[in-house]
Amino acid sequence: MLDGLAGKLEQYLDLLSVRQRLVASNIANADTPGYKTQDIDFQTEFQNAAAGLAPHVIEASGLTVRNDGNNVSIDRESRLLAENGLRFNIASNLMRDQIRTLKVAINGGSGS
Amino acid sequence: MSLFSLLSVSASGMSAQRARAELLVENLANAETTRTPEGGPYRRKDAVFTTQPAESPFSSIFESQLARPDGVGVADVVVDNRDPERRYLPGHPDADKDGYVAFPRINPAEDMVDLMGATRSYGANVAAISSVKDMIQRSIDLLR
Repeated sequence: MLDGLAGKLEQYLDLLSVRQRLVASNIANADTPGYKTQDIDFQTEFQNAAAGLAPHVIEASGLTVRNDGNNVSIDRESRLLAENGLRFNIASNLMRDQIRTLKVAINGGSGS
Repeated sequence: MSLFSLLSVSASGMSAQRARAELLVENLANAETTRTPEGGPYRRKDAVFTTQPAESPFSSIFESQLARPDGVGVADVVVDNRDPERRYLPGHPDADKDGYVAFPRINPAEDMVDLMGATRSYGANVAAISSVKDMIQRSIDLLR
């Protein structure tokens, strides 16, 4: 019913919520000994999502490991938290626009 | 897995940090305590965290579909087993025959710094909740 763009947006929103889940886990485990930062390769996973594959969680690289074996960087997670929120915001606005356009078509152009 | 389950991940982080803050405050309050029910001076306590699946009221239904997100919980409360600090106070009712009193080995600076860490981590979890809440609200707005 909604065209391909809406489908892509749905996958994008899904992937953003998967990433937000990982960011929330990382923040919750910021003081857990031995915990390693989890992430997804967004570009690759977005292409995989088009092929219907489930996202693959990886350990983030290039982070400093502290004495207790934990490598969560709160700065990095805060940035991702904000970035995910903004991306979600943009994508959901686009999605809303798609739905509104469809509504206009249903109503025969007489308002939304 | 849904956005709603993320709320319980951050909530687990908040409760774990609160539990840690409780222990740290307890340490500070008992920095001079020489009598405990177990006998001897108070001993410093600290929380050890572990990852654990976040609890969610609907999780059991979706559990089979996707792995539940990692929350955090208090795995253990470790008690400091170092020898107590001995101070020479012959007039003290808890003094031993040589006039020394065993006081808890607590460094207030250490506990205050840990307490600041716990507060900041708690704040980070709150920020995560409000961000996720915003995402949920955005999704609901799609229906309008």
